[in-house]
Amino acid sequence: MAYNYKTELGRYKRYYQSLEPIFNKTSSRTYTSVIFSFLAVSLFGWYAVRPTIQTILYLKREIADDTVTDKQMEDKISALIEAQAYYQQIEPLLPAVDQALPPNPEVVPLVIQLRNLASTSGVLLTSLQPNSTPLLGKTPDKNTNTPTSSLVSSKQQSYDLTVSVQGSFENIQSYINGIINMRRVTSITGMTISPIKGDQSSSPSAALSIDTLQLALRLKTYYLVE
Amino acid sequence: MENDQDLLLISIFTFFTITLWVTFELLKTVKTTTVAQTTQQIVIPLNPKIDVDTVNTINNKQVY
Repeated sequence: MAYNYKTELGRYKRYYQSLEPIFNKTSSRTYTSVIFSFLAVSLFGWYAVRPTIQTILYLKREIADDTVTDKQMEDKISALIEAQAYYQQIEPLLPAVDQALPPNPEVVPLVIQLRNLASTSGVLLTSLQPNSTPLLGKTPDKNTNTPTSSLVSSKQQSYDLTVSVQGSFENIQSYINGIINMRRVTSITGMTISPIKGDQSSSPSAALSIDTLQLALRLKTYYLVE
Repeated sequence: MENDQDLLLISIFTFFTITLWVTFELLKTVKTTTVAQTTQQIVIPLNPKIDVDTVNTINNKQVY
């Protein structure tokens, strides 16, 4: 159908004429300007003002964060240099620390030390029994749940030993002092001293004098799982 | 007239909604750190003090 501009022009003219009286009202003009102002401010606020202010605030925050990070990095570098100096100072002594708190249970070296200490102190080692101990130092669950292990680091593990020796009071005292001064970290958790009765004279301790005492020790030793 | 008032209310509510939205977006930008997680882990403070006295005490103990 061909476009008849005369008919169409007349139709649109009627629309414009019908809108004219509405815009001639003061209240309508005011409402329209206020409504479009709010909408325009909202539109430009969201699409123009927000990204601009957001970028400004982000950059300011980034500068502040980088300043703090730079300061923390400098402090850490200084701390590392200081730690390196301390490490060089104690480096020759580190094997002693490994002996005190070995990375594995190392039951046999401890037993050898307790046996050597017994012969050094002049007491007779009658029994030495380590409790169940993991060979590779893996953590058994029951050890980690004990109250003692909850107080210390989770990597630090321990196991118990029971030692019985016979000897005079002075020798037993020397043995206990030796355990306390032993480099391997070992604590005495229980101790019983009793005189040896006459009916035990047929035991290997028969050669000992009459004032021979029997010492039963419960020891706890530690190791550090890496 | 009532139609104009409704439109005005809608525009006012739109304005306030967008104002609040922009405000919270800007607050979030200010509060969110720009430092990466790895950097935060790197700059954790380190105590360089090593108890040399304790190490010396351990070294002075005996091995049998």
